[in-house]
Amino acid sequence: MVATEIKRDFPLKGMLVIDVATFIAAPYCASILGEFGADVLKVEHPVGGDPCRGFGTATRRGDTLAWLSEARNKKSVTLDLRSKEGAKIFRELCRKADVVCENFRPGTLEKWGLGYEVLAKENPGLVMLRVSGYGQDGPYRDRPGFARIAHAVGGLSYLAGMPKDTPVTPGSTTLGDYLSGLYGAVGVLLALKEKERSGLGQFIDVALYESVFRLTDELAPAYGMYGTVRERHGPHVRVAVPIGHFRTKDDKWIAFACTTDKLWARLCDAMGRPELASSGLYGESARRMEARHEVNQIVAAWAGSLNRDEILDRCIASKAPCGPLNNIADIYGDRQFAARQNLVPREAPGLEGDVVMVPNVFPRLSETPGRIDSLGPQLGEHTDEVLRDLLGLSPEEIADLHEKRVV
Amino acid sequence: MSEQANEQPLPLDGIRVVDVGTFIAGPYSASIMAEFGAEVYKVEHPLAGDPFRRFGTATKRPDSSLAWLSEARNKKSVTMDLRMPKGVELFRRLVEKCDVLIENFRPGALESWGVGWEDLRKVNPGLVMLRVTGYGQTGPYRDRPGFAHIAHAIGGLSYLAGFPGQTPVVPGSTPLGDYMSGLYGVIGILLALRQRDKTGRGQVIDIGIYEAVFRQLDELAAAYGMFGKVREREGAGTVIACPHGHFRTRDDKWVAIACTTDKMFARLAEEAMGRPELSSSALYGTKAKRLAARKEVDALVGAWTMSLSRDELMDKCNEAEVPIGALNNIADIFADPHYKARGNLTTMDVPGVGEVVVPSVIPRLSRTPGRIKTLGPPLGNATDEVLGALLDLNQAELKQLHEARVI
Repeated sequence: MVATEIKRDFPLKGMLVIDVATFIAAPYCASILGEFGADVLKVEHPVGGDPCRGFGTATRRGDTLAWLSEARNKKSVTLDLRSKEGAKIFRELCRKADVVCENFRPGTLEKWGLGYEVLAKENPGLVMLRVSGYGQDGPYRDRPGFARIAHAVGGLSYLAGMPKDTPVTPGSTTLGDYLSGLYGAVGVLLALKEKERSGLGQFIDVALYESVFRLTDELAPAYGMYGTVRERHGPHVRVAVPIGHFRTKDDKWIAFACTTDKLWARLCDAMGRPELASSGLYGESARRMEARHEVNQIVAAWAGSLNRDEILDRCIASKAPCGPLNNIADIYGDRQFAARQNLVPREAPGLEGDVVMVPNVFPRLSETPGRIDSLGPQLGEHTDEVLRDLLGLSPEEIADLHEKRVV
Repeated sequence: MSEQANEQPLPLDGIRVVDVGTFIAGPYSASIMAEFGAEVYKVEHPLAGDPFRRFGTATKRPDSSLAWLSEARNKKSVTMDLRMPKGVELFRRLVEKCDVLIENFRPGALESWGVGWEDLRKVNPGLVMLRVTGYGQTGPYRDRPGFAHIAHAIGGLSYLAGFPGQTPVVPGSTPLGDYMSGLYGVIGILLALRQRDKTGRGQVIDIGIYEAVFRQLDELAAAYGMFGKVREREGAGTVIACPHGHFRTRDDKWVAIACTTDKMFARLAEEAMGRPELSSSALYGTKAKRLAARKEVDALVGAWTMSLSRDELMDKCNEAEVPIGALNNIADIFADPHYKARGNLTTMDVPGVGEVVVPSVIPRLSRTPGRIKTLGPPLGNATDEVLGALLDLNQAELKQLHEARVI
């Protein structure tokens, strides 16, 4: 730590964040705060810890790659919140904290005497992020929530798939978790900003399904005004033609997005068929929408006649918007990812000799870029250090807590 | 501006934002800031305005589609032709008076008009500038046109949406990547404003839309890096849990069921399905057995869901605390009691348009919640007001600028 601490300034330097949440949703908010300088204490159950440690592909250290990547910069402190002593220590930590992130089922922290009201009485400036499947109120609040369910309830899953066929996962099962972490971070930063004026904290109530629903552009207003119910459209997008995915000769896939007549004309140039962009044929958007099927067929036939890289070269030369459907092997070989350093190698204790590649900090700030100083910690790695330095407990007191399995 | 005096204070009161972006990616950052009290000036071309005004479903007001009305909420429209020297001068003077500038031109465009970052920081050293483009401000692809549809492909999300070996589909919604970029953008801005409050210096936040998409793919990168694993399309399910997918119901609707643990599967089998033998250790009681017999397990669950209506399934699973959700379409969402109880839809009366239903503000802050005062403004509705108040232009000067089509 000492070596890397030289002269770096961060927007959240000196801030203390307690992450008592699990998996990705609320913890991702804490990860972002940690990337930009906050000290993040990951509070976990002494037995097993955060189940995210078991989510996905295991490393030889026992915990998974998802854990290593997403618990970056955090310190692990074990604490049994169900025990009286554990709850008391948690309250003491919260008294010193600026932010607490949690995603228990609504009412759980209250049951342990650790609800927002209790914590805010002792620390009126505390900002608390509460993430749950359905939010802190409403008829479904007690139902278990997962991102897959949230994608369904929020209206996204219904829209992913071939028309009338089985709806598919919208690309990734954890999207709703990440989105909720992002909304959580927005809420926390807003609350911290407001606190500068009033001195008071508040809580932010994020529901997974709401984070998904908020991103559905005109879906709600179009139903409200015209009764339009949007359906699944497979690889295509209905607002313009051609926007979709097309198979190439080498059995790869490419995406085109011609949202305007000008962009369509450029694609016709790339295809070597400028006449298709004439007003007699498909030059105008209205005409292409009518002849959606023919236009898509023409593009599909062309895409199927060339390898992916040839198509990309032609489209880049004529400035037509296109991109390969990258799998992760493509991404590792992509020059843009390399130039932007979107992947960074890190090492972790217990994995000596191995390099773990993780997505870099995002967003990218010019003067005070974020950091990844360490990957996900081992369970309880920092318990003693934090109890000693932050709460001033003696070695005997700490030993006693270990013995009672409070930590 | 004056009417705000009586209102409850908001976190971003007094912050001024110039939003010269188009469509959703950068502008969504400005929308969130406006929901939480910032004054947002949407700078648009005097004739055409933001092309987003014509995106999607039209309304009775020719300059405002439904998507525009919803997403340009709370903004004031100020027209300015940046291709005219006089327009650029006004823009520079406006940015001088503001805290934040949001743009999503192709890299180099603002620089070519003499209002790039280096020019603007000279007149306003505390300025925070958000730059959103398809590929970011650097790297070999920086000059390529960028759209969310392409960014989903480049970022690795589209490759994963669909059935194994079949056509990759749109991951639910076309502008997902735009919204994600807006979220990362506003996080960057709030971090940078905090840093500016400490040092007086602003900075640039540089966002590639593909990066916002790529950042949310959990262990995809790490698993390829360590084990060479290339994730493929997984249809309606996921390879890491079972049953975890979408199932058709007797009334031809769909539900999502997500059993991530043995305990949840036991509740599904024993309490909801009434088939306790299925969760015995001899059959499918352990995750390893279920993953090995994925097809059989999914078929058993699918046969059961086909024997009941969606509402019956929801009741049985909710009673047994099995994670389940309806794959809502927008009609379902409008009828959902939980959406209603949480106030997720807001109805606004828009002059010249009528009633418009839009998604409400999230994230939900307990003490200083955001608000929707107005929906997307008519083109140029605040040009004279803003230029008069902030740049001290008098009536005669404004008239001249209008006549010269600078504004």
